[in-house]
Amino acid sequence: MERRIPVMPWPARLLTLSLLLASLPAFANERLVLIASVDSEVEQLDSLEIRKLFLGMTVTRNSGRLRPLLNDSDVQMRNVFLQNVVSMTDTVYDRRILRLAMAGETNLPPRYTDKAALLSAVAANKLAISYAWARDVERDKRFKILRTLWHD
Amino acid sequence: MTTLFMRLLLAATFLAFSGIAAAEHEHSANEFEVFWAAEALHGTGQSHAGDDDPWLSADVLFGFTEHQFRVFGEYYVTTDEHDLERLQFGWEFTPETLLWFGRFHQPASAWNSQHHHGRYLQTAITRPFIERWEDEQGIIPQHITGALFDTRQSIGNGAAVQFAAGVGAGPAFRDEQYEPIDLLNTNPGRHRLAVSSRLAFLPEYEGANNAGLVFAHDHIDTNSPSILSRLDSHDAVLTLYGAYVDWVFDDWRVMATGYYVDVALDINTRDESFVSAYAQVERTLPFNLTAFGRVESSARMQESKFVALFDDRDGDIDIAVRREALGLRWDFLRHQAFTVELSHIDSLQQRSNEIRLQWSGVFP
Repeated sequence: MERRIPVMPWPARLLTLSLLLASLPAFANERLVLIASVDSEVEQLDSLEIRKLFLGMTVTRNSGRLRPLLNDSDVQMRNVFLQNVVSMTDTVYDRRILRLAMAGETNLPPRYTDKAALLSAVAANKLAISYAWARDVERDKRFKILRTLWHD
Repeated sequence: MTTLFMRLLLAATFLAFSGIAAAEHEHSANEFEVFWAAEALHGTGQSHAGDDDPWLSADVLFGFTEHQFRVFGEYYVTTDEHDLERLQFGWEFTPETLLWFGRFHQPASAWNSQHHHGRYLQTAITRPFIERWEDEQGIIPQHITGALFDTRQSIGNGAAVQFAAGVGAGPAFRDEQYEPIDLLNTNPGRHRLAVSSRLAFLPEYEGANNAGLVFAHDHIDTNSPSILSRLDSHDAVLTLYGAYVDWVFDDWRVMATGYYVDVALDINTRDESFVSAYAQVERTLPFNLTAFGRVESSARMQESKFVALFDDRDGDIDIAVRREALGLRWDFLRHQAFTVELSHIDSLQQRSNEIRLQWSGVFP
Protein backbone atom coordinates (compact mmCIF):
# COMPACT_ATOMS: atom_id res chain seq x y z
CA MET A 1 0.00 0.00 0.00
CA GLU A 2 1.32 3.37 -0.92
CA ARG A 3 1.70 5.81 1.91
CA ARG A 4 1.77 9.53 1.29
CA ILE A 5 4.15 11.77 3.10
CA PRO A 6 2.00 14.14 5.09
CA VAL A 7 2.19 17.69 3.83
CA MET A 8 1.63 20.52 6.25
CA PRO A 9 -1.01 22.98 5.05
CA TRP A 10 0.34 26.49 4.40
CA PRO A 11 -1.33 28.22 7.40
CA ALA A 12 0.29 25.68 9.71
CA ARG A 13 3.66 26.18 7.98
CA LEU A 14 3.33 29.94 8.42
CA LEU A 15 2.49 29.50 12.08
CA THR A 16 5.45 27.17 12.64
CA LEU A 17 7.81 29.60 10.90
CA SER A 18 6.50 32.48 13.02
CA LEU A 19 7.01 30.48 16.20
CA LEU A 20 10.54 29.58 15.15
CA LEU A 21 11.36 33.22 14.45
CA ALA A 22 9.82 34.29 17.74
CA SER A 23 11.90 31.75 19.61
CA LEU A 24 15.15 33.22 18.26
CA PRO A 25 16.82 35.74 20.58
CA ALA A 26 15.49 39.14 19.69
CA PHE A 27 18.88 40.60 20.61
CA ALA A 28 20.92 38.60 18.11
CA ASN A 29 24.23 40.39 17.42
CA GLU A 30 23.49 42.87 20.19
CA ARG A 31 26.07 44.48 22.49
CA LEU A 32 25.30 46.01 25.87
CA VAL A 33 27.71 48.86 26.53
CA LEU A 34 28.55 51.05 29.50
CA ILE A 35 28.13 54.70 28.59
CA ALA A 36 28.97 58.15 29.91
CA SER A 37 28.62 61.67 28.61
CA VAL A 38 31.28 62.64 26.09
CA ASP A 39 32.26 65.38 28.59
CA SER A 40 32.82 62.86 31.36
CA GLU A 41 36.31 62.49 32.81
CA VAL A 42 35.67 58.79 33.36
CA GLU A 43 37.71 56.68 30.99
CA GLN A 44 37.46 53.25 32.53
CA LEU A 45 35.65 51.32 35.25
CA ASP A 46 36.52 47.80 36.31
CA SER A 47 33.94 45.09 37.01
CA LEU A 48 33.99 45.61 40.78
CA GLU A 49 33.53 49.37 40.43
CA ILE A 50 30.61 48.83 38.06
CA ARG A 51 28.97 46.40 40.47
CA LYS A 52 29.50 48.79 43.40
CA LEU A 53 28.19 51.69 41.37
CA PHE A 54 24.94 49.97 40.42
CA LEU A 55 24.42 48.84 44.00
CA GLY A 56 24.47 52.53 44.89
CA MET A 57 27.84 52.48 46.67
CA THR A 58 30.27 55.34 46.38
CA VAL A 59 32.56 55.32 43.34
CA THR A 60 34.44 58.53 42.68
CA ARG A 61 36.50 60.06 39.88
CA ASN A 62 38.41 63.29 40.44
CA SER A 63 36.53 63.76 43.73
CA GLY A 64 33.17 63.57 41.95
CA ARG A 65 30.73 60.86 43.00
CA LEU A 66 29.55 58.91 39.96
CA ARG A 67 25.78 58.57 39.51
CA PRO A 68 24.39 55.29 38.23
CA LEU A 69 21.23 55.46 36.13
CA LEU A 70 19.28 52.25 35.58
CA ASN A 71 18.06 51.70 32.04
CA ASP A 72 14.72 49.91 32.33
CA SER A 73 13.51 50.86 28.87
CA ASP A 74 13.82 47.30 27.64
CA VAL A 75 13.02 44.07 29.50
CA GLN A 76 15.73 42.07 27.71
CA MET A 77 18.34 44.69 28.53
CA ARG A 78 17.32 44.62 32.21
CA ASN A 79 17.68 40.85 32.25
CA VAL A 80 21.10 41.01 30.60
CA PHE A 81 22.18 43.71 33.07
CA LEU A 82 21.02 41.69 36.08
CA GLN A 83 22.63 38.47 34.91
CA ASN A 84 25.90 39.85 33.62
CA VAL A 85 26.64 43.01 35.58
CA VAL A 86 25.30 42.62 39.11
CA SER A 87 24.85 38.81 38.92
CA MET A 88 21.57 38.80 40.83
CA THR A 89 17.95 38.03 40.16
CA ASP A 90 15.53 40.92 39.88
CA THR A 91 14.08 40.38 43.36
CA VAL A 92 17.45 39.90 45.04
CA TYR A 93 18.86 43.03 43.38
CA ASP A 94 15.86 45.12 44.41
CA ARG A 95 15.99 43.97 48.01
CA ARG A 96 19.76 44.43 48.15
CA ILE A 97 19.68 48.07 47.05
CA LEU A 98 16.67 48.78 49.25
CA ARG A 99 18.50 47.29 52.23
CA LEU A 100 21.58 49.41 51.55
CA ALA A 101 19.41 52.49 51.18
CA MET A 102 17.62 51.66 54.43
CA ALA A 103 20.99 51.44 56.17
CA GLY A 104 21.87 54.91 54.85
CA GLU A 105 24.79 53.45 52.93
CA THR A 106 23.55 54.29 49.43
CA ASN A 107 21.16 56.31 47.35
CA LEU A 108 18.91 54.19 45.16
CA PRO A 109 19.94 54.47 41.51
CA PRO A 110 17.22 56.31 39.54
CA ARG A 111 15.30 54.12 37.05
CA TYR A 112 14.42 55.26 33.55
CA THR A 113 11.78 53.44 31.56
CA ASP A 114 11.98 55.91 28.68
CA LYS A 115 15.09 55.47 26.53
CA ALA A 116 15.18 59.06 25.27
CA ALA A 117 14.89 60.42 28.82
CA LEU A 118 17.70 58.18 30.01
CA LEU A 119 20.03 59.18 27.17
CA SER A 120 19.27 62.86 27.80
CA ALA A 121 20.02 62.42 31.51
CA VAL A 122 23.37 60.75 30.77
CA ALA A 123 24.30 63.38 28.19
CA ALA A 124 23.47 66.21 30.61
CA ASN A 125 25.48 64.93 33.58
CA LYS A 126 29.17 64.23 33.26
CA LEU A 127 29.10 62.10 36.42
CA ALA A 128 26.26 59.89 35.16
CA ILE A 129 26.97 56.30 34.13
CA SER A 130 24.47 54.00 32.46
CA TYR A 131 24.20 51.22 29.90
CA ALA A 132 22.46 50.85 26.57
CA TRP A 133 22.42 48.75 23.42
CA ALA A 134 25.42 49.73 21.30
CA ARG A 135 23.19 50.37 18.27
CA ASP A 136 21.44 53.19 20.20
CA VAL A 137 24.56 55.11 21.18
CA GLU A 138 27.58 54.27 19.04
CA ARG A 139 26.81 56.91 16.41
CA ASP A 140 25.61 59.49 18.91
CA LYS A 141 28.30 62.10 19.57
CA ARG A 142 26.88 62.94 23.00
CA PHE A 143 28.24 59.69 24.46
CA LYS A 144 31.38 57.71 24.91
CA ILE A 145 31.40 53.96 25.32
CA LEU A 146 33.46 52.92 28.33
CA ARG A 147 33.33 49.19 27.76
CA THR A 148 31.26 46.33 26.43
CA LEU A 149 29.35 44.68 29.27
CA TRP A 150 27.90 41.83 27.23
CA HIS A 151 27.66 40.73 23.63
CA ASP A 152 25.61 38.12 21.86
CA MET B 1 13.59 75.12 74.16
CA THR B 2 15.40 71.98 73.06
CA THR B 3 12.19 70.63 71.55
CA LEU B 4 11.56 73.86 69.69
CA PHE B 5 15.11 73.80 68.37
CA MET B 6 14.75 70.20 67.17
CA ARG B 7 11.44 70.92 65.46
CA LEU B 8 12.97 73.90 63.68
CA LEU B 9 15.95 71.78 62.70
CA LEU B 10 13.68 69.06 61.37
CA ALA B 11 11.53 71.56 59.48
CA ALA B 12 14.67 73.08 57.95
CA THR B 13 15.86 69.60 56.98
CA PHE B 14 12.55 68.75 55.29
CA LEU B 15 12.48 72.09 53.49
CA ALA B 16 16.06 71.71 52.35
CA PHE B 17 15.34 68.16 51.26
CA SER B 18 12.21 69.04 49.30
CA GLY B 19 13.84 72.07 47.70
CA ILE B 20 16.94 70.21 46.74
CA ALA B 21 14.92 67.24 45.51
CA ALA B 22 13.27 69.54 43.04
CA ALA B 23 16.58 70.91 41.88
CA GLU B 24 18.69 67.78 41.83
CA HIS B 25 21.89 68.24 39.90
CA GLU B 26 25.00 66.32 39.05
CA HIS B 27 26.64 66.46 42.51
CA SER B 28 23.51 65.66 44.48
CA ALA B 29 21.12 62.79 44.96
CA ASN B 30 18.04 62.35 47.07
CA GLU B 31 16.12 59.51 48.57
CA PHE B 32 12.45 59.02 49.32
CA GLU B 33 10.80 55.67 49.95
CA VAL B 34 7.84 54.54 51.99
CA PHE B 35 7.91 51.00 53.39
CA TRP B 36 4.36 50.08 54.32
CA ALA B 37 2.74 47.03 55.84
CA ALA B 38 -0.73 45.83 56.85
CA GLU B 39 -0.95 42.98 59.34
CA ALA B 40 -3.55 40.73 60.90
CA LEU B 41 -2.85 38.66 64.02
CA HIS B 42 -4.67 36.01 65.98
CA GLY B 43 -3.00 34.72 69.13
CA THR B 44 -4.28 32.37 71.79
CA GLY B 45 -4.30 33.66 75.36
CA GLN B 46 -3.85 37.31 74.39
CA SER B 47 -6.48 39.97 74.81
CA HIS B 48 -4.96 42.33 72.23
CA ALA B 49 -2.33 42.50 69.53
CA GLY B 50 1.30 42.73 70.55
CA ASP B 51 3.27 45.96 70.73
CA ASP B 52 5.15 44.87 67.61
CA ASP B 53 1.96 44.22 65.63
CA PRO B 54 0.34 47.41 64.37
CA TRP B 55 -2.33 46.59 61.81
CA LEU B 56 -1.01 49.35 59.57
CA SER B 57 2.43 50.93 59.46
CA ALA B 58 4.44 53.19 57.18
CA ASP B 59 8.14 53.83 57.41
CA VAL B 60 9.18 56.94 55.52
CA LEU B 61 12.81 57.07 54.49
CA PHE B 62 14.31 60.31 53.26
CA GLY B 63 17.85 61.28 52.44
CA PHE B 64 19.95 63.74 50.59
CA THR B 65 23.55 63.65 49.40
CA GLU B 66 25.48 66.71 48.25
CA HIS B 67 29.13 65.96 47.48
CA GLN B 68 30.34 64.31 50.69
CA PHE B 69 27.61 65.69 52.92
CA ARG B 70 24.63 63.49 53.75
CA VAL B 71 21.34 63.86 55.56
CA PHE B 72 19.34 60.76 56.30
CA GLY B 73 16.12 60.17 58.22
CA GLU B 74 13.46 57.63 59.01
CA TYR B 75 9.98 58.53 60.23
CA TYR B 76 7.82 55.64 61.41
CA VAL B 77 4.05 55.92 61.61
CA THR B 78 1.59 53.31 62.84
CA THR B 79 -1.99 53.37 64.05
CA ASP B 80 -0.60 53.67 67.60
CA GLU B 81 2.52 55.84 67.31
CA HIS B 82 4.60 58.12 65.16
CA ASP B 83 8.24 58.76 65.78
CA LEU B 84 11.30 60.19 64.12
CA GLU B 85 13.34 57.00 64.48
CA ARG B 86 16.53 58.27 62.88
CA LEU B 87 17.87 61.65 61.86
CA GLN B 88 21.53 61.66 60.89
CA PHE B 89 23.86 64.27 59.43
CA GLY B 90 27.03 62.78 58.01
CA TRP B 91 30.25 63.43 56.19
CA GLU B 92 31.82 60.84 53.90
CA PHE B 93 35.59 61.31 54.32
CA THR B 94 36.50 58.66 51.78
CA PRO B 95 34.23 56.25 49.91
CA GLU B 96 32.33 54.13 52.46
CA THR B 97 33.83 55.91 55.51
CA LEU B 98 31.32 58.16 57.25
CA LEU B 99 30.95 60.06 60.47
CA TRP B 100 27.32 60.65 61.41
CA PHE B 101 25.79 62.84 64.10
CA GLY B 102 22.21 62.52 65.29
CA ARG B 103 19.91 59.75 66.42
CA PHE B 104 20.74 56.36 64.95
CA HIS B 105 20.18 52.64 65.43
CA GLN B 106 22.86 51.10 67.56
CA PRO B 107 25.15 48.95 65.37
CA ALA B 108 25.38 46.03 67.82
CA SER B 109 21.96 44.73 66.80
CA ALA B 110 22.51 42.11 64.10
CA TRP B 111 18.88 42.19 62.96
CA ASN B 112 17.98 45.86 63.23
CA SER B 113 21.11 47.10 61.51
CA GLN B 114 20.02 45.03 58.49
CA HIS B 115 16.27 45.64 58.43
CA HIS B 116 15.64 48.76 60.55
CA HIS B 117 11.88 49.52 60.56
CA GLY B 118 11.23 48.38 56.99
CA ARG B 119 8.99 45.35 57.38
CA TYR B 120 9.12 44.59 53.66
CA LEU B 121 12.87 44.01 53.93
CA GLN B 122 12.62 41.21 56.47
CA THR B 123 11.40 37.88 55.13
CA ALA B 124 9.55 37.01 58.33
CA ILE B 125 6.73 39.15 59.70
CA THR B 126 8.08 39.25 63.25
CA ARG B 127 11.48 40.26 64.51
CA PRO B 128 13.13 38.15 67.21
CA PHE B 129 12.01 39.21 70.71
CA ILE B 130 15.56 40.12 71.76
CA GLU B 131 15.71 42.58 68.81
CA ARG B 132 12.52 44.44 69.68
CA TRP B 133 12.48 48.23 69.75
CA GLU B 134 12.31 50.12 73.01
CA ASP B 135 8.58 50.93 72.75
CA GLU B 136 7.81 47.25 72.16
CA GLN B 137 9.27 46.26 75.55
CA GLY B 138 12.66 45.57 73.96
CA ILE B 139 15.32 44.61 76.51
CA ILE B 140 18.34 45.92 74.60
CA PRO B 141 18.55 49.71 74.01
CA GLN B 142 18.34 50.30 70.25
CA HIS B 143 18.61 54.06 69.71
CA ILE B 144 21.55 56.29 70.57
CA THR B 145 21.78 60.05 70.06
CA GLY B 146 25.36 61.07 69.47
CA ALA B 147 28.07 60.15 66.95
CA LEU B 148 28.37 57.10 64.71
CA PHE B 149 31.48 56.13 62.78
CA ASP B 150 30.98 53.64 59.95
CA THR B 151 33.61 52.34 57.56
CA ARG B 152 34.07 49.51 55.06
CA GLN B 153 37.63 48.68 54.05
CA SER B 154 38.86 46.32 51.35
CA ILE B 155 41.20 43.60 52.62
CA GLY B 156 42.28 42.13 49.31
CA ASN B 157 40.83 39.40 47.10
CA GLY B 158 37.58 41.33 46.97
CA ALA B 159 36.80 40.83 50.68
CA ALA B 160 36.17 43.61 53.18
CA VAL B 161 35.79 44.41 56.86
CA GLN B 162 33.10 46.73 58.13
CA PHE B 163 33.45 48.53 61.42
CA ALA B 164 30.78 50.67 63.04
CA ALA B 165 30.93 52.32 66.44
CA GLY B 166 28.46 54.66 68.09
CA VAL B 167 28.61 56.66 71.29
CA GLY B 168 26.12 59.02 72.87
CA ALA B 169 23.08 59.28 75.08
CA GLY B 170 21.09 56.09 75.47
CA PRO B 171 17.50 55.68 76.63
CA ALA B 172 16.02 56.48 80.02
CA PHE B 173 13.88 53.83 81.69
CA ARG B 174 10.26 54.58 82.61
CA ASP B 175 7.01 52.63 82.90
CA GLU B 176 8.23 49.17 81.87
CA GLN B 177 10.09 50.37 78.80
CA TYR B 178 13.06 52.37 77.63
CA GLU B 179 12.55 55.91 76.37
CA PRO B 180 15.25 56.92 73.89
CA ILE B 181 15.88 60.59 73.26
CA ASP B 182 12.90 61.98 71.35
CA LEU B 183 13.92 64.56 68.76
CA LEU B 184 10.45 66.09 68.58
CA ASN B 185 9.14 66.03 72.14
CA THR B 186 10.27 66.43 75.73
CA ASN B 187 12.68 63.97 77.29
CA PRO B 188 11.95 63.21 80.93
CA GLY B 189 14.34 60.95 82.82
CA ARG B 190 18.10 60.66 82.74
CA HIS B 191 19.77 59.63 79.51
CA ARG B 192 23.16 58.15 80.24
CA LEU B 193 26.12 56.94 78.23
CA ALA B 194 25.66 54.27 75.59
CA VAL B 195 28.40 52.70 73.48
CA SER B 196 27.81 50.21 70.69
CA SER B 197 29.97 48.63 67.98
CA ARG B 198 30.11 45.97 65.29
CA LEU B 199 33.03 44.39 63.45
CA ALA B 200 32.03 42.37 60.40
CA PHE B 201 33.78 40.34 57.75
CA LEU B 202 32.38 40.40 54.21
CA PRO B 203 33.75 37.84 51.72
CA GLU B 204 32.73 40.22 48.92
CA TYR B 205 33.16 43.97 49.38
CA GLU B 206 29.82 44.74 47.77
CA GLY B 207 28.07 41.53 48.82
CA ALA B 208 25.38 40.86 51.41
CA ASN B 209 27.05 37.93 53.18
CA ASN B 210 28.63 38.94 56.45
CA ALA B 211 29.57 37.61 59.84
CA GLY B 212 30.85 39.47 62.85
CA LEU B 213 31.14 40.37 66.49
CA VAL B 214 29.13 42.98 68.36
CA PHE B 215 29.56 44.79 71.64
CA ALA B 216 27.41 47.29 73.53
CA HIS B 217 27.64 48.98 76.92
CA ASP B 218 24.66 50.94 78.29
CA HIS B 219 24.20 52.79 81.57
CA ILE B 220 20.54 52.76 82.58
CA ASP B 221 19.11 54.94 85.32
CA THR B 222 16.62 52.93 87.40
CA ASN B 223 16.12 55.45 90.15
CA SER B 224 12.34 55.87 89.95
CA PRO B 225 10.51 54.54 93.07
CA SER B 226 8.53 51.86 91.23
CA ILE B 227 11.58 50.41 89.48
CA LEU B 228 13.78 50.78 92.55
CA SER B 229 11.33 48.76 94.63
CA ARG B 230 11.35 45.87 92.14
CA LEU B 231 15.03 45.88 91.17
CA ASP B 232 16.62 47.10 94.41
CA SER B 233 19.25 48.99 92.44
CA HIS B 234 19.63 52.67 91.56
CA ASP B 235 21.09 51.93 88.18
CA ALA B 236 21.94 49.09 85.85
CA VAL B 237 24.83 48.68 83.45
CA LEU B 238 24.15 46.41 80.51
CA THR B 239 27.10 44.93 78.68
CA LEU B 240 26.33 42.91 75.57
CA TYR B 241 28.69 40.59 73.72
CA GLY B 242 27.47 38.88 70.59
CA ALA B 243 28.31 37.10 67.39
CA TYR B 244 26.25 36.75 64.25
CA VAL B 245 26.26 35.39 60.72
CA ASP B 246 24.07 36.27 57.75
CA TRP B 247 25.00 34.07 54.80
CA VAL B 248 23.45 32.94 51.52
CA PHE B 249 24.30 29.50 50.12
CA ASP B 250 22.66 29.11 46.72
CA ASP B 251 18.92 29.03 47.51
CA TRP B 252 19.44 29.01 51.26
CA ARG B 253 19.96 31.90 53.66
CA VAL B 254 20.99 31.48 57.28
CA MET B 255 20.83 34.24 59.87
CA ALA B 256 22.02 33.25 63.32
CA THR B 257 22.82 35.46 66.29
CA GLY B 258 23.81 34.88 69.90
CA TYR B 259 24.00 37.50 72.66
CA TYR B 260 25.37 37.27 76.18
CA VAL B 261 24.05 40.14 78.30
CA ASP B 262 25.55 41.04 81.66
CA VAL B 263 23.44 43.25 83.95
CA ALA B 264 25.55 44.92 86.64
CA LEU B 265 23.46 46.27 89.53
CA ASP B 266 24.25 48.17 92.74
CA ILE B 267 26.97 46.80 94.96
CA ASN B 268 24.44 45.33 97.41
CA THR B 269 22.42 43.59 94.71
CA ARG B 270 23.50 40.46 92.92
CA ASP B 271 24.44 41.00 89.28
CA GLU B 272 22.53 39.11 86.60
CA SER B 273 23.26 37.77 83.18
CA PHE B 274 21.30 36.00 80.48
CA VAL B 275 21.81 34.54 77.04
CA SER B 276 19.55 34.95 74.04
CA ALA B 277 19.99 33.42 70.60
CA TYR B 278 18.04 32.86 67.41
CA ALA B 279 18.53 31.25 64.02
CA GLN B 280 16.44 31.85 60.95
CA VAL B 281 16.72 29.72 57.83
CA GLU B 282 15.18 30.77 54.53
CA ARG B 283 14.79 28.83 51.29
CA THR B 284 13.83 30.44 48.00
CA LEU B 285 11.33 28.41 45.99
CA PRO B 286 9.83 28.68 42.50
CA PHE B 287 7.13 31.28 41.79
CA ASN B 288 8.84 33.95 43.95
CA LEU B 289 8.06 32.05 47.13
CA THR B 290 10.35 31.96 50.16
CA ALA B 291 9.86 29.53 53.03
CA PHE B 292 11.36 30.40 56.40
CA GLY B 293 11.68 29.06 59.89
CA ARG B 294 13.11 30.61 63.04
CA VAL B 295 13.98 29.31 66.48
CA GLU B 296 14.55 31.69 69.38
CA SER B 297 15.82 30.53 72.71
CA SER B 298 17.28 31.95 75.90
CA ALA B 299 18.85 31.02 79.20
CA ARG B 300 18.34 32.63 82.63
CA MET B 301 15.85 35.24 81.37
CA GLN B 302 13.09 33.82 83.56
CA GLU B 303 15.18 34.35 86.70
CA SER B 304 16.19 37.91 85.83
CA LYS B 305 14.58 40.70 87.87
CA PHE B 306 15.79 43.17 85.28
CA VAL B 307 14.06 41.35 82.42
CA ALA B 308 10.86 41.09 84.46
CA LEU B 309 10.70 44.91 84.60
CA PHE B 310 9.73 44.92 80.91
CA ASP B 311 6.67 42.72 81.31
CA ASP B 312 3.82 45.24 81.52
CA ARG B 313 1.04 42.60 81.71
CA ASP B 314 -1.18 44.56 79.38
CA GLY B 315 -2.70 41.51 77.72
CA ASP B 316 -0.07 40.77 75.09
CA ILE B 317 3.24 38.94 75.18
CA ASP B 318 6.18 41.21 75.96
CA ILE B 319 8.99 38.81 76.75
CA ALA B 320 9.44 35.43 75.11
CA VAL B 321 11.96 32.97 76.45
CA ARG B 322 11.43 30.65 73.46
CA ARG B 323 9.71 30.88 70.11
CA GLU B 324 9.45 28.69 67.03
CA ALA B 325 8.13 30.27 63.87
CA LEU B 326 7.40 28.98 60.37
CA GLY B 327 6.19 30.93 57.40
CA LEU B 328 5.90 31.51 53.71
CA ARG B 329 6.44 34.73 51.79
CA TRP B 330 5.18 35.36 48.27
CA ASP B 331 6.65 38.28 46.33
CA PHE B 332 3.65 38.46 44.03
CA LEU B 333 4.48 41.83 42.45
CA ARG B 334 7.56 43.99 42.21
CA HIS B 335 7.95 45.64 45.65
CA GLN B 336 4.95 43.85 47.15
CA ALA B 337 4.84 40.70 49.22
CA PHE B 338 2.30 38.63 51.06
CA THR B 339 3.47 36.64 54.11
CA VAL B 340 1.93 34.14 56.48
CA GLU B 341 3.67 33.19 59.73
CA LEU B 342 2.76 30.65 62.40
CA SER B 343 4.52 30.64 65.74
CA HIS B 344 4.53 29.05 69.15
CA ILE B 345 5.76 31.15 72.08
CA ASP B 346 6.81 30.38 75.63
CA SER B 347 6.67 33.72 77.43
CA LEU B 348 7.45 34.64 81.01
CA GLN B 349 3.81 34.06 81.97
CA GLN B 350 2.18 31.72 79.46
CA ARG B 351 2.29 29.79 76.23
CA SER B 352 0.66 31.00 73.06
CA ASN B 353 0.13 30.07 69.43
CA GLU B 354 -0.06 32.84 66.88
CA ILE B 355 -0.93 33.26 63.24
CA ARG B 356 -0.06 36.39 61.32
CA LEU B 357 -0.82 37.60 57.81
CA GLN B 358 1.00 40.54 56.31
CA TRP B 359 0.85 42.49 53.09
CA SER B 360 3.97 44.64 52.77
CA GLY B 361 5.60 46.75 50.13
CA VAL B 362 7.65 49.76 49.26
CA PHE B 363 6.67 52.87 47.35
CA PRO B 364 7.69 54.02 44.77
